[in-house]
Amino acid sequence: MKSYDVAIVGGGHNGLVCAAYLARAGKRAVVLERRERVGGAAMSEEVFPGFRFSVFSYVVSLLRPEIIRELELPRHGLHILPLESTLTPLREGGKEGDYLAQWNDHDQNRRELARHSPRDAEAYDEFGLELHQMARLIKPILAIAPPDPVSLHPRELLDLARLARMFRNIEKKKFNALWRLLTMSSAEYLDGWFESEALKATKSASGIIGTMLGPRSPGTAYVLLHHYMGELDGVFRAWGFAKGGNGSVSAAIAASARSSGAEIRIRAPVQKILVQNGRAKAAVLESGEEIHADVVVSGADPRRTFLGLVGEKHLPAEFADAIRRFRFRGSSAKVNLALGELPNFTCLPGRGPHLRGAISVSPSVAYLERAYDDAKYGEISRRPYMDIVIPSMLDPAMAPPGKHVMSIFVQYAPYHLNGGWTDARREALGDAVVDTLASHAPNIRSAILHRQVVTPADIERVVGLSEGNIFQGELSLQQMFFLRPAPAWARYRTPIDGLWQCGSGTHPGGGVMGASGRNAAAAILGKRA
Amino acid sequence: MSFQAIVIGTGVDALVAAHLLARRGNQVLVVEERSPARQDFGWVPAQLIGELGLELKAGAPDPWATALLPDGAKLELWRDIGRSAGSIRRHSEHDARAWPDFCRRMAALARLFEQIYLDAPTDPLNLRFALGVRGLGREGMVDLMRLLPMPVAELLDDWFECDALKGALAAMGILDIQQGPRSGGTAFRFLHHHVGSPEGVFRPPRTDLSTRLRQAARPGLHFKAAETKKILTKAGRARGVLLGDGEEIEAPIVISGADPRRTLLELADPGWLDPELARAVGNVRARGVAARLWFEGFSFEGPANGNLVFAPSLDYLERAYDEVKYGRVSREPYLEAHSSPRGLEVHFQYVPQGTKEDFGDSADLAATARRLLPGLENSKLVSILGPADLEREEGWPQGQPHHAELALDQALWMRPLPELSQYKTPIEGLWLCGPAMHPGGGVAGATGYNCAHAILKERN
Repeated sequence: MKSYDVAIVGGGHNGLVCAAYLARAGKRAVVLERRERVGGAAMSEEVFPGFRFSVFSYVVSLLRPEIIRELELPRHGLHILPLESTLTPLREGGKEGDYLAQWNDHDQNRRELARHSPRDAEAYDEFGLELHQMARLIKPILAIAPPDPVSLHPRELLDLARLARMFRNIEKKKFNALWRLLTMSSAEYLDGWFESEALKATKSASGIIGTMLGPRSPGTAYVLLHHYMGELDGVFRAWGFAKGGNGSVSAAIAASARSSGAEIRIRAPVQKILVQNGRAKAAVLESGEEIHADVVVSGADPRRTFLGLVGEKHLPAEFADAIRRFRFRGSSAKVNLALGELPNFTCLPGRGPHLRGAISVSPSVAYLERAYDDAKYGEISRRPYMDIVIPSMLDPAMAPPGKHVMSIFVQYAPYHLNGGWTDARREALGDAVVDTLASHAPNIRSAILHRQVVTPADIERVVGLSEGNIFQGELSLQQMFFLRPAPAWARYRTPIDGLWQCGSGTHPGGGVMGASGRNAAAAILGKRA
Repeated sequence: MSFQAIVIGTGVDALVAAHLLARRGNQVLVVEERSPARQDFGWVPAQLIGELGLELKAGAPDPWATALLPDGAKLELWRDIGRSAGSIRRHSEHDARAWPDFCRRMAALARLFEQIYLDAPTDPLNLRFALGVRGLGREGMVDLMRLLPMPVAELLDDWFECDALKGALAAMGILDIQQGPRSGGTAFRFLHHHVGSPEGVFRPPRTDLSTRLRQAARPGLHFKAAETKKILTKAGRARGVLLGDGEEIEAPIVISGADPRRTLLELADPGWLDPELARAVGNVRARGVAARLWFEGFSFEGPANGNLVFAPSLDYLERAYDEVKYGRVSREPYLEAHSSPRGLEVHFQYVPQGTKEDFGDSADLAATARRLLPGLENSKLVSILGPADLEREEGWPQGQPHHAELALDQALWMRPLPELSQYKTPIEGLWLCGPAMHPGGGVAGATGYNCAHAILKERN
């Protein structure tokens, strides 16, 4: 029987990143993926003949630059195409000119903002500077394994002191600004900067992505900052697409892992993690095959890992409680459209450069808040928040010549829908999205050739993310840093000897960052990340 | 007569600060803009009562809350934890079992805050603070870290299943703030209002502290009924106040019980402030979200001195909040009633900014209260105040009794702004003692206590 140093459960991007780092350190690592392809939620598929989609996650921006560098991802096929703009239509059925655009080009952006509010144009650079500074403060924290503040173990105390020193060295003013970002709502935070509704709404939308919170809920300002991390380092500067869809991100990481000697097995669903005498011994496949390894690493989310694969009987009661309390509450859906022609927006007609960027349906903070209100009580948002991109504009290979693919991120579609998700409800969600879109781009109905609607229930079923939460657990303050996923177990270790976690249910969380996988590998190797 | 200090305002905190300074042999003048409150809401720290040499009777209603349910049933919560568990058991066996442990865990956290609240705030990297937190032990520390940023709804969902119990408790998380039970940070507010209360009691006491302080004779303490027009400054130093009748009174120390915006941007010359700080003072969030109604001639069954709560579930409270987000009065509001010297006082939340006239027919609010609270049917509405009325009558900015909303970004060492958190202002000799300061409203007299001690400390 073949034996490994490390068996990794789940071939999502974090599992692959973890495998790649372990393989580079000389470990014999095997990745066990349930589906017929790796990538988890970062995958591309030809859903309709000739039309390729990033079915689930659809943009790249947070993937850590050090991972791209160290794993030599460009050499393994990763190519990022930057998104240049964000267009926000101001109102339904608005006339030409009723839009707010944000451009990567500084001067163009400033002119456009000044059209709406000279004050906002002034404040924009200062705002960008503050977020940039805050992101720089947070950045070193992304790469550490959070110490346990409750422990008296000398190593933990040492790390805690190191962390405290790091914070103490931060200028008081910046520390306080960071605290505000951690505790405020994105809408209130932005109220302090801007006056134009569409700008506040479009910015605050990054604060609600993946959460079951509205823009006026405290805690969302941090999620906004989380989504700013990607705009650092000069590597990406902006949001972008992976050429070939987000599956190419996973494929590049997998190729890098293989080149370092990692083995990747697809169609290898893990049924349980074998625990004997409090120690993880092997990953057991559905076929009954046991993959023995010194170390088992789970890239699945905390609920699946501990309550599913391990089983409660092997866990300390307090830990099992904490995992049960860990909140998922998926709220995001995807609608993927195959289009016969490009959408024609009433507010900015024609085929302009705006179609090469994102289109954000977020006309006002109240609009987003209303969308949240529906979901709070278990209903689909009647008028949802949508983040729309047309990848075929940048990467024509995604669609047949002259045709296009459109990817629509939708919120809110609550996992806990009143009456549960059915085929009819899925189509109702698709209709709400198309209706909303048609009120901004009336030609969309006739342009649609095919439609795929992915609900949180679908995400759970297909990808295995509990409750369809795209971050493997809500990114709320009470589920972050040393509380992610459970107090005292935030250092990728688990109460089971030899079992580790590497998914985005651990610090620092999701968004196709890869940081969890990299940090986990460092922890397993006993290195400081 | 020459004074060492002038205190602006007759809030409970201003009176406490005035007494503490007079007690140390200073001549102190209190400029009274209105008569002191006849009833004060919030824990009065024993240390404060001791230093002032007061005998204080706090009401200790039992049951401390009677939650009214839409079907006419009641949930009574008693000072005795076992007796409350008995009431809860009629609704949920599970919750009755969880109740004693919940009370113990919340009380442990409240004890930590009792210490933190009677001192100028320190930031979380301060060693003494860190040691205090570690003193909670493993369970307490984890509870604290999880609880602070949480929505109160999530905290209660973790523990309980009974809607009536969760609603009655969650009300303390949203009291007087423009947030709902599903908003982050409301668990901290729930805890804030538990500080100082005995284990198992989740309503702060009501006392007559202000009245007592106003009546207590103390050498060196003087009162003058007048409106303050200006805080006079000279070369960056406070030198006294200008009153409404044109009289100028001098003193090297001026202590303002008014909110920071009025104190620094209206009473004092804002030219003394760094423009960035002036902007931040202007941005301090203070939004009143409740109206107060007073009724006479009500007839409730059972004890009338406790709190009658109408907050039947978390979703009910959240829906009430939804309406105010869009500028409407809650059609199904959170109500809490207790007897007061002016009659039965009903707290009606949420109402948007504005005077009672702005709500259309103010009788609508009374009608809603009558519909939801049994025993009010034949009572007479004596008075009703909306946020704008409360600003005029009580000096609460936009009707916000805490002067600055108690949210995590405006709490502890951030209260109301980091630059002002030590009760001092950039104008030398001008101090702030109102509820906008740490630890905030709902703890009667503590901000005045902390402010007075900060002044005394600096002078020694």
